[in-house]
Parts: sequence; structure tokens; C-alpha cells
Amino acid sequence: MMELKVNQDNCLGCGVCVVACPVNVSISPEVAGGHGPKTEEVVMMVENGVIKLFTDANCTKCGTCQLFCPVDAIWLE
Amino acid sequence: MVTNTKEVKALDFDISRSTEEERKLSFKDEFCIGCGICEKVCPVEAIELGDIGAIVRNEADVPKICIDEDKCVLCGMCSVGCPVDALDFTVDGESIKDMDVYPHYVSSAEIDDETCIYCKACETACPREAITIARDLPDRAKLVTGEIEIDKETCIDCGICEEMCPADAITLEHKIPTSADPTVSSDINVDKDKCVYCLICRKVCPVDAIKAVCRTCSYGEYDLDPAAAEIEGSSFIDDDLCVRCGWCQEICPVDAAKVKKPFKGELTIDQDKCTSCGACVDICPCDVLSFPQPEEPGQIVDKVFKDEKYCIYCGACGNVCPVEAITVKRTDVDYTPTKSKSWKNKMESLKT
Repeated sequence: MMELKVNQDNCLGCGVCVVACPVNVSISPEVAGGHGPKTEEVVMMVENGVIKLFTDANCTKCGTCQLFCPVDAIWLE
Repeated sequence: MVTNTKEVKALDFDISRSTEEERKLSFKDEFCIGCGICEKVCPVEAIELGDIGAIVRNEADVPKICIDEDKCVLCGMCSVGCPVDALDFTVDGESIKDMDVYPHYVSSAEIDDETCIYCKACETACPREAITIARDLPDRAKLVTGEIEIDKETCIDCGICEEMCPADAITLEHKIPTSADPTVSSDINVDKDKCVYCLICRKVCPVDAIKAVCRTCSYGEYDLDPAAAEIEGSSFIDDDLCVRCGWCQEICPVDAAKVKKPFKGELTIDQDKCTSCGACVDICPCDVLSFPQPEEPGQIVDKVFKDEKYCIYCGACGNVCPVEAITVKRTDVDYTPTKSKSWKNKMESLKT
């Protein structure tokens, strides 16, 4: 099984992965509008300017975050 | 002690049993469409479908399925269930797909060379790039008839005919003039294999140096052989790559392609659940799914568009959807008869 990994040193804090993640959108619809999720059940969130995994157990490994991340800060391996 | 060994070559692998009867299962990753049918039919849960979305979309160096060689009993069921040729199971070198005692999908894709006009629409449309059309086009010179002559004495080497000739049949030997030879071209010639007697050169020549006539226009096509216009060719479908999606059959203008699909079913997309992440669009081996474009600004369109004509009901899209917006139902599985009840049960279990 692949695992969702983040590298906070690479992260720009742009939050593209947070809004692109289809799981996040279904858990917390407001992320689609670019507002921060209101629950820690989402897969990942930007906290203090960098990406942080919250409930990565919810990740379905669709690869969308990796596809959109501009700097290899989030990936599956 | 009888053991299974696994031999891994990049993303492909072979599993074989250490007995005199050689039972071998081979996986070829490039053909795998990530449908997960093998995982469902395996009687010992030895197969695990990888994270297909992440693997395919980010071109990860990870095989699409994983088989535990210690659990695998080398029954061959996964190979029979595989709707493409990603899994091949052999017993003493003979493929299970060639053995009558085991069931096989009734499916095929064929192009009838007698009917085919070699237009290459299928080759372009095939989502798996499984089709190759080779064609021999006739000689252009045999399809036209006429006469053309350039009066080199009158010609002023302006090159207008050369520039305008749509068939690139006229060539000037351009050169820099010298005091000894104050001309800009040393020669002008017409390639009669290329000339189509369109008469453009005659009309544009500023000094009327070109005499040309199209005999088809003045006299008809009496001195042309209709057989010379025939296009010959051949078609080839790579069976390893073909998924029997039916694109070739749908796009063929002369009904030369015939496709028989192994499954019938139903594909449902819940547009409310869909978040437009595109995982299904990227994974579908049959180009069934796409993002619709609104015709005018502000028009609300479906998040994902499907054309079920091309669907093989493999279920790959349903597996990768992160929000369970896609349901693939298989209502019918067409397979050859078998006496074995357990194999029959397995084939029936593919209906969902």
C-alpha cells in the first residue's frame, strides 16, 4: 500500500492540495471555496504556513494532490 | 517441499511452483488497466490492487497489482478474469486461455480488410493505440492526364510558378547572376510525376511562358485506368493492448470493425457527489469519461460526461473514485461453457 507523505521543507503553503483533494471537499465543502477546513477530519491542511497531515487515514490515494503540488511537497509512495 | 518462487523484472513478475508440472503466472504491468477484477476473483486473497489513481496519474514506479507468492495457489483464475492480457497463466507452457476445459470471455475485435477503406479513423480513435493501419497510396501521376511545357527562352526566372505550384512540381535552379552569366536561374523543370495539371502556373506566369492543358477537363477520363486509383492496405489489432471498447466500431465509416464485448452493465455517476478531481477520466482505459465544456459562459454542465457506448464495465473508474460517486454494475458476463462448478460460480460472481 502506498502512503501519503509530506515534506514541510519543500512546502510553499499555497494550499492547492487542500482545495484539490476530493476527499477534503466531501468532508468539508467550504475548502472548495478556498477557506480553511473547519474540521480536522480532512486529510491535510496548511497550518502556520506549511502543509500538515491531519486524518490521512481518510486518503483514498487518488493522486490528485501530487498532481497539483508545484514543489514535490506532497506525494504517495 | 513444494514452494512458489517470484521473479521480478522491473514492474513485471512471474510466480511459479517448484514442481515437475510447471505452473506459472506472469504479470505484465503495461497491459494492466487497474480494474481490480483479479483481486475480486482470487480465491485465496493473494492479490492486492495498488493505489491505481496515484500510480497511473503520477507515473509511479510501482506495479499496479501485488501478488503474495506464499498465498498464491497458482489456480489461474486471475488470468481468466483479467479482461486484458496483463495476467497470463500457463501449465507446462500452454496458456490457460487456450485450454477448452477452462472458461474464457467471449470477446473479440476485428477489422475486415475487404471492407476497410484504410481511412485510419480507428487508429486515431483507439484509446489503447492498439490499431495499426498500413496503406499504399496510388501514384498521383496515374490519376491525372495532361500536358505541360515551359518555354525556357521566354521564361524570365521570376519563380512565381514555383512558389504557387500546389503540388511542388516546378523547380528553378536559383543562382546569383554574374557579369558572365547575368541570369537568376540556370534552369527550370516540371516534375511530371507530381504535376496535377491544375494550370495555376499557366495562369500566373507574367510572360505566358507556360503551355499546359488538363486532358481530363477537355477530353474526359478516357485514358485513365480506374484501377490505378485503388488504395491498398492492411489492418492490425494488437490483441495484448485491445480492451474491446468499441471505439473502432463506432468511428468506422464503412462498418469494417466489429467488436464483441465480454460484459454488459450499467455505469452510473452521482453528479452531486462528484468533485471533478479527474481520477476516473485519467484511469478509464476506454475514453468513456471526459469533462464537458459549457457552450456559453455561465451554462451549468455535468461534472463528468460519460458515453457508455465505449464502456467495458471493467470497474476501474469506480475503484479510483475518492468520493464513491461512480457505480459500475455488471449485469451480464459472456463466457465459454465449463463443466467445473467452482469456475462457473467465479465467472457468475463477476456480475454485481
